[in-house]
Amino acid sequence: MQKGYLCLVLHSHLPFVRHPEHEDFLEEDWLYEAITETYIPLILLFERLLNDKVDFRLTMSLTPTLISMLEDFLLQERYLKHINKLIELAHREVERTRWQPEFHHLANMYLGRFYEARSLFERYKRNLVTAFKNFQEAGKIEIITSGATHGYLPLMEVSPASIRAQIKVAVADYERVFGRKPKGIWLPECGYFPGVDKILKEVGLKYFFVDAHGVLHGTPRPKYGVFAPVYCKNSGVACFGRDLESSKQVWSSIDGYPGDYNYREFYRDIGFDLEYEYIKPYIHPDGIRINTGIKYYRITGPTDFKEPYVPQWAQEKAAEHAGNFMFNRQKQIEYLFDFMQKKPIITSPYDAELFGHWWYEGPTWLDYLIRKIVFDQDIIRLITPSEYLDENPRNQVITPSLSSWGWKGYNEMWLQGANDWIYRHLHVASERMTELAQNFKNTDGLLRRALNQALRELLLAQSSDWAFIMGTGTHTAYAIRRTKEHLLRFNRLYEEIKANTIDEVWLSEIEYKDNIFAQIDYRVHQ
Amino acid sequence: MVIKRIKKRLSKIMGRRKARKIAQLPRKKAPSKIKEEVLGMQETKVEGAKYSHPSIMHLKRMMPEELPTQYGKDKIVAQVRDPWWIHVYWEITPQTIEKIKNELKEKFYQAKRVLRVYDISHIIFTGDNAHRFFDIQINEQANNWYIDTAGPGRSWCVDLGLLLPEGKFITLVRSNTVYTPIEGPSWITDEEWMIPEEMFARLYGMGFGLGRSSPVGKAWQERVRRALFSGVLASPGIASMASPVKIPQVRKFWLVVNTELIVYGATEPDAKVSVQGKDISLRPDGTFSLRFALPDGKQVIPVQAKSADGQDQITITPIVTRETK
Repeated sequence: MQKGYLCLVLHSHLPFVRHPEHEDFLEEDWLYEAITETYIPLILLFERLLNDKVDFRLTMSLTPTLISMLEDFLLQERYLKHINKLIELAHREVERTRWQPEFHHLANMYLGRFYEARSLFERYKRNLVTAFKNFQEAGKIEIITSGATHGYLPLMEVSPASIRAQIKVAVADYERVFGRKPKGIWLPECGYFPGVDKILKEVGLKYFFVDAHGVLHGTPRPKYGVFAPVYCKNSGVACFGRDLESSKQVWSSIDGYPGDYNYREFYRDIGFDLEYEYIKPYIHPDGIRINTGIKYYRITGPTDFKEPYVPQWAQEKAAEHAGNFMFNRQKQIEYLFDFMQKKPIITSPYDAELFGHWWYEGPTWLDYLIRKIVFDQDIIRLITPSEYLDENPRNQVITPSLSSWGWKGYNEMWLQGANDWIYRHLHVASERMTELAQNFKNTDGLLRRALNQALRELLLAQSSDWAFIMGTGTHTAYAIRRTKEHLLRFNRLYEEIKANTIDEVWLSEIEYKDNIFAQIDYRVHQ
Repeated sequence: MVIKRIKKRLSKIMGRRKARKIAQLPRKKAPSKIKEEVLGMQETKVEGAKYSHPSIMHLKRMMPEELPTQYGKDKIVAQVRDPWWIHVYWEITPQTIEKIKNELKEKFYQAKRVLRVYDISHIIFTGDNAHRFFDIQINEQANNWYIDTAGPGRSWCVDLGLLLPEGKFITLVRSNTVYTPIEGPSWITDEEWMIPEEMFARLYGMGFGLGRSSPVGKAWQERVRRALFSGVLASPGIASMASPVKIPQVRKFWLVVNTELIVYGATEPDAKVSVQGKDISLRPDGTFSLRFALPDGKQVIPVQAKSADGQDQITITPIVTRETK
């Protein structure tokens, strides 16, 4: 007998990184790695499930910045170049490891996977968004939106017009891509403060997610904890709280699955391990060693001593862990069902890039998990939030608490010594953008282009990723540069628009560089 | 620097030395050493891995020009960091300072620059009806501050102003209102329930919920038919998962040595060449080179070339032995 629901959510996001001015740009690799290791394996997984007629449900956010990059011709062209390079390297590896059987079969595995990735990429005419759109149309995955550039909303509380712009631009872009309105939204970094929901309601969004304490510390106290959604007071938008138990099992590298000794070690990459002259053509042109994606070792144990990766063992572990995850959810649901006298919903959100990129076997685990749930038992049913709300429309009304799923659970990851300086600039830029939108109501031609570009630059400066990277303290230079660059561009546009001295040559140049959201309308910033 | 030093001294004075520095995020090979997990730490780590490029710091990159230090407007903005702490940043224009100097004359130099933090929970703040307030003396150069409110679940407003020797406070700028969230479950347990209008209409039309049966039926029968993955479900134990065995602290010094072998040569560009029985392709000039990881032991590497017409054939067989001591 079915006793509850499991709502799996994959949040996919990368910041907008596109540098046509450089032949080879290190940070663009974030996208290429994620394509090869996460997005393509997930697409392959969904294709397999569809082919086998598995009736599954999964909720997935694709942020507008990620969609823009996946759709971008230049980046598509560059990805193809990137995967071709990898194929070439894998060929050389197959040859080089001929006398090392423990690595030779791995080199062959990578070669096969890279070929597979390339052929899938070409099969979808280089646009992977189409694949996800197909799965949504087949009724298996529900794609939700996010902030236009993944701006961290709780630190925009003083700039509600910017929150509105983040959300409206995202929703408009979603409609352009998927041909319908989004039902739900992934608030960037799960960042919620009371009041955000009103703006969600304005654009017709029905639900969002928060971390567990966002619901648990809501007022009044939620009767069913995180095991039933709540409606936000005053807006009626539904809010689903994250289940911590299931989260930890997957997220944690300490007592979660990804830390298993049989799984592939993320930090041992041939980009760092192999002889310099040999690997040089495949790392950064400046000779800086970087990850190539070819990794031959398993986690092995807690020390630096690593043994070769054995895919067969890893696969068996993934199956075992999928079984373990399902078993734990069954127990959890049975317990909750007796206790609540109502079917609980377990909401388990993860970064999509955790699957494949960080946890190499993640997509395999997901494959086993979904099939086991669909075919091997009847206690749990996979569901999307909108289906759940259709079936369970009566829910408690509360005001959730300020929260995020970041470090320490609130705003500190994005508001600390290393990054707090950005807000005085961002907030002024928001004020200025509102001023422009109010002063220039009907425009065309050059002025309109400048105003639209000003909003693009502001949104790009607001990406939570920059503050996040500054906060982690590693390779912060790029994040600082991006924040400054977009703000400086914005400020110059603001001055030029006000003085009616728009430099068209320069405007064209930054339109070409920051070409995100072709259809943007600056008037949403109000 | 100055600000930092002052903040440090101040927090000492106030006896509130809450660690505010970000704990070192776990990077390479951390797992066995971390004992307790801070909320969101794993998420931070995984998300950080998306932007992984360890040596990027060596890259010299052009930094754009600097952002303006001032925007020419008096303002103070407060933001919540967590249930206890709020952050404020401000800007006071030189003109405002001049103006106040002219008004206060001598007294200006005796005045202390102060942040006045008002607890304005559940009221409409008029400037003099706060439940309570406390002052934080700040330095002239400071332009932002972290404030320990010690009060989750309250509303706050912050004035930046001057405290005159006789105790009079002059507000320069007043912040927005912020609300620090409660840090545990709410004490309020009254319940309110809701069915959205459109849902209710739909349910009503279907005879109050009876129309939508619970999802038993076809899907389940199909599943039973396909017992595809049953059996794989192993024991429910999580025993194998990353049992963090305690390893005694090892010293960090290390050495890795690997060997590779390059086999290279040349023949007629149109010849057919095989190495260890596997065909290889030649460069346009007839040269070739192959690179192998060389493990311990003996490698016999016959290199065979055949002329294009098949008439001639030469085999050369290097034998290489690696021995590690």
